[in-house]
Amino acid sequence: MSEDERYRTSTQYRLWSYTPESLLALRSTTNRIAADRVREAVRRVREARALSSADTSEAENGRSASVIPQGEVDCLTVDEELKLVAWYCRQTLSLGDHLKVPTDVKATAIQYIKRFYITNSVMTYHPTDILRTALFFATKTENHYFRLTKFADAIGGTKAEDVLASEFLLTQGLRFTFDVRHPFRALEGAVMELQALSRGDLPAVPGGEDVTGARPQNMERKVRDAHGKAREYLKTSALLTDAYFHFTPSQIMMAALMIADKELTQWYIKCKFPATAGTLQEKILITVEKCALMLKEVDTSLESSATEKKELGALSKKLKKCRNPEKIDLVGLLRAKREGEGGADEKVVKKRKLEREQSAKEGEDLFGPEIKK
Amino acid sequence: MMLRNGASKSIDNNPSDDICPVCKSNRYLNPSLQFLINTECYHKMCSTCVDRIFTSGPASCPVPYCGKTLRKKGFHKAFFGDLKVEREVDIRKRVGSVFNRRQDEFETLRDYNNYLDDVECLIFDLVQGTKEEKAKAEERLKAYRESNMGDIEENRRAGLEEVEMEKRREKAEKEAARQRRLAALREEEEEKLDVAKSKRDVLERLATSNEDANRITQQAQKIILKKTSARRTLAESAESNGSARGSGLTLRGLKKKEAPIVEKPYDPFGGMDFTPSRYVLQDDYDNEWLSNAKSDMRHMAGGYSLHEYYARTMFEAFSGLGVFIEDEATGRSLPAAPASIGTAAAAEASGGEVKIEHKMELDDVF
Repeated sequence: MSEDERYRTSTQYRLWSYTPESLLALRSTTNRIAADRVREAVRRVREARALSSADTSEAENGRSASVIPQGEVDCLTVDEELKLVAWYCRQTLSLGDHLKVPTDVKATAIQYIKRFYITNSVMTYHPTDILRTALFFATKTENHYFRLTKFADAIGGTKAEDVLASEFLLTQGLRFTFDVRHPFRALEGAVMELQALSRGDLPAVPGGEDVTGARPQNMERKVRDAHGKAREYLKTSALLTDAYFHFTPSQIMMAALMIADKELTQWYIKCKFPATAGTLQEKILITVEKCALMLKEVDTSLESSATEKKELGALSKKLKKCRNPEKIDLVGLLRAKREGEGGADEKVVKKRKLEREQSAKEGEDLFGPEIKK
Repeated sequence: MMLRNGASKSIDNNPSDDICPVCKSNRYLNPSLQFLINTECYHKMCSTCVDRIFTSGPASCPVPYCGKTLRKKGFHKAFFGDLKVEREVDIRKRVGSVFNRRQDEFETLRDYNNYLDDVECLIFDLVQGTKEEKAKAEERLKAYRESNMGDIEENRRAGLEEVEMEKRREKAEKEAARQRRLAALREEEEEKLDVAKSKRDVLERLATSNEDANRITQQAQKIILKKTSARRTLAESAESNGSARGSGLTLRGLKKKEAPIVEKPYDPFGGMDFTPSRYVLQDDYDNEWLSNAKSDMRHMAGGYSLHEYYARTMFEAFSGLGVFIEDEATGRSLPAAPASIGTAAAAEASGGEVKIEHKMELDDVF
């Protein structure tokens, strides 16, 4: 079973790998459906409000009603949604820095958000709700324990309930796949081997010859420099783009190395895939270049420029107006759902309690009453 | 088995058990009256009649309209009071010696059950059937015997061997039990002697020395206790040794040992080959990040192997490098699962790409 075949068994490959076109198509579908639903929900709320105001008896119905503007709802486009999601991904990064979680937790959280918003719209579920849950999930999947209450406190202005409100939602949105394959460890492996190659005489491929001759100049230093740079790219650029959907972790890693040191990486790939073995070398080089281009393009600064800020401000204002009024209060929705199911649960609990008491009593009787002295 | 000839007489006091149907002599006149039957026709008659009629060679059955030719050799005492039962058992024995296939000769339990059913039908035909049915069943039995001679013989021998083994085991078990009993008896005897001896010693010491009598008795008590406990542990260890040595003899219900099939070493990956194709994994890499961990007791004490780390990082560096999502994912918009997916459920979950997406929009958790 080759390395590639093993990668193909991962959920990241099976469920979360798309071509740019199919990704766009999915996002457009999601956007269209969500927009329709927002309009529908707004219409329902308006009707309800009209009814209640006709009654005038239920005037305090207005909390959600006050949010609803008049006139036709102006929904976000796919592009605008993407911009918002990207912005909130950056927010996640800085929130992660604030909480002092390791890089892979942040990276996983961002992938969760990105995956979630392929099939869900920003208009339905607000990213601020989702990103907290995503980050919390990521601490769990990446084995970085963070107590829920502490987590909520550290974020500030958040209760544990808020973090958990969208947990089922997010889980479903992730199609129950929590595994995210990152390129970080891959980079360590590649650098480790590059260093070994620069020093010793070991074959690049099984059964191949030692690569003593054609090594780049000053290889050891080059490798060290490239390592640092590539890691920076992986930590930020790779996360903020759609690279994870279009490329495998290994390719992303190679792309980051490629940006850091083109000569070295090309030599490395050519070592691994000799030109005699067909078109594979060329194809990999093209793919890695494509990925590198993608990584290079994105702006990695956490602080956005004034024009961007303005644009984002306008977008969030627009989002405020076109949010699905039925899905704003996730905590309330969850509670309502729980209470709906609560009736049956209570009975079960009561029954269990009775059974427990019964068995305790029998346990006492088992050896008869205590012996009197 | 309870319904022996004599026993049945005392139970239901059937008068036909007292009078010979051939010579009409009865038990009152001849207390040693004994009835014999012949497997040819199962008509019973007293031993005197058998002697009288068949001593001079084969003759036809004296019962009216029977007419079967019988020989004296074929007569024996009926085991069951009810001759119908006697006959059925005989038939079963006969059929069983021919149809003696064993369960492990069949591929499935179902096949075996079908076979048993066939045999049972045959037996029923022989026991209860009309004349034609009987003849047909006989024919089948004969045909089967002729065509499966070798198998039948083999199975018969296997059955005999099994019985033999069983007998041998039982014998060995009995022998072991006897030995244990004897050992226990011996032990007891010795202990008794020992106790008596030490008591005698105490008395002697009391008589000869002028130490404190109380102390002497206490000491002696202690010695006796020590000796018994020592003996007990000895016996226990011997017993455990014995049982370890002859565990096959003392345990009941052990399965017979099959001819040993050479077992291959267990392969958790079912024969998959995981040797890397794009790199050669070294035993050690120079890595400034790891140099600390290599010598740090806190890392090494837990058994953490750096080799695992090397293998994983190297694998991740090259896993999927040759997977071109753009090429491979274009064909995937159709609900076609990649071949690598094992279970049908997984295929369903991963295949219904477009469907799932819509479903997710519709079936909210709230």
